[in-house]
Amino acid sequence: MAFDCVIVGAGPAGMSAAVTLAEHGVRSLVLDRGAKAGGQIYRYAASSPLPDPSKLGPDYMSGAALINAFEACGADHVAGADVWHVGDDGRILYSIDGETRQIETREVLVCPGAIERPMPIPGWTLPGVMTAGAAQVMLKTDAIVAENAVFAGSGPLLYLVVAQYLRLGVKVAGLVDTTPRRNFLQAASAAPAALRSASLLHKGISLLSEIRRAGIPVYRQSVQLKLLGQTRVSGLSFYSNGLQQIEADTVFLHHGVIPNPNMTRALGLDHVWNEDQLAWHVKTDLYGQSSIPYIAVAGDGGAIVGGDGAHIEGRLAALNILMRLERISPETRDRLSRSPVGELRRLSQFRRFIDRLYRPSDALRLPQDEDTPVCRCEDQSVADLRAGFQLGARDPNALKSRTRCGMGPCQGRQCGPIVSDLLANWRGEHVSDVGYYRMRSPQRLLSLEELSRFKTVSSLQPRAREASR
Amino acid sequence: MFRSLRENVPETVQVSVNGHPVQVPARQTVWSALALSGQTVTRKSALSGEDRSAYCTMGVCFECLVEIDGEPNQQACLREVAPGMVIVSQNITEFTMADRDGL
Repeated sequence: MAFDCVIVGAGPAGMSAAVTLAEHGVRSLVLDRGAKAGGQIYRYAASSPLPDPSKLGPDYMSGAALINAFEACGADHVAGADVWHVGDDGRILYSIDGETRQIETREVLVCPGAIERPMPIPGWTLPGVMTAGAAQVMLKTDAIVAENAVFAGSGPLLYLVVAQYLRLGVKVAGLVDTTPRRNFLQAASAAPAALRSASLLHKGISLLSEIRRAGIPVYRQSVQLKLLGQTRVSGLSFYSNGLQQIEADTVFLHHGVIPNPNMTRALGLDHVWNEDQLAWHVKTDLYGQSSIPYIAVAGDGGAIVGGDGAHIEGRLAALNILMRLERISPETRDRLSRSPVGELRRLSQFRRFIDRLYRPSDALRLPQDEDTPVCRCEDQSVADLRAGFQLGARDPNALKSRTRCGMGPCQGRQCGPIVSDLLANWRGEHVSDVGYYRMRSPQRLLSLEELSRFKTVSSLQPRAREASR
Repeated sequence: MFRSLRENVPETVQVSVNGHPVQVPARQTVWSALALSGQTVTRKSALSGEDRSAYCTMGVCFECLVEIDGEPNQQACLREVAPGMVIVSQNITEFTMADRDGL
């Protein structure tokens, strides 16, 4: 028996979709890799190990309400379910406790979320170099912090983590801001529209002044970043009013997020290049419906919309799915969509401002040094890739065949955007003409033993969630 | 240096990290156990043999692959600790396989 609707991912988009479906009597199956619902942004928001989670800020705390609504809505949430194949035939395969299960569904909502944009500066593979997202994950999941770390890069998430550390009394060795001066001019033209979201603007500004007041070293318009150390990181050198050097055993990098592409790519959905966000994303309609009608995408796994935007997109996708399942009429869908669509428009104007202000510089997206690793899994440097290109590998898949870049366990999640950018640069063409790796399932590491054991799940289990929590 | 901000830990479990017994809060991730015990090298890079450690801690980068209870290629950031779990940094590279097979 096929399920009516399966949702992949229990972040804000997936949770709000499940809640909306439940409001209209559709019990969805929600598969999520995490131990608890929440996704990355609301990770453990309803069950934080921190003595005072409110120090992470009101946005994070607001996630608890969505998590509670989701858990009460009657959707079946399978935690620890790592989906490794979504077929264009309605078949989904996921791995749980070392075993693969197969289900079939009429409608699929894919909510894979965002990943951090790779920041390939010299030394980025050294132990002790992590992402700002990692700092957040460790903080939210297990209340772990890195004392005296350096934060380097640009963008709201970077400043948020620094502010959270400072509020929690964790020492920060420095904030190395790479936002180029020209971004402020570029962003100015989008500022009037962004002013309609005055509260969001105010939130960002108060975050920055909070960091300034704390008195930690802040370096502006930093360039030529290099991580120091031989076998593990020992610090960061860069130019900001001359050569600077900070010692640290942990350096957190960040310069924005991009949609996690692997699942939507493996599905063969149409993708488009977004020049504002410097990333590919799935081509969808207003309701997240993709080029395959019964597959929808919501949240940052489409274009980057942030946690609030994901919440709204999840609701819109669910309304469309309800119409497709003939639970509501097209008129009802349109009527219920009016207010969320308006809210999403307002958010997207603010997003455009943020995209311009924190647009990553070319020098940080494209590795500047021939020895810098591009493919972390297969140890392929810029020089290795250039050699492959010079031997005739002009597109990402040809380069993959020739050099093994993108063939390691991460399946190109780290090197994919860099490889496309490098090839565009070498070919003197736009990245949208270069394209991206061709993706295939399985989207995780699987043992042959697991592949040999399949189990088909054809109905919802009696409520067993309470016991497993 | 990593440290925990937890004030009270209701339940701990003992795991082994590279042969050393370590007491960690129950249900923490394997990566957190490694981070708090100061043993942060997770694997060797497949070709260069250089030390690697967790990078994204959210299941994207696969840098935190370790051996858990004898099973290689486990993502330390996604697995939770369990009592008696044996965690070992992963030393598999392309060359160790060749050595073992006498190639």
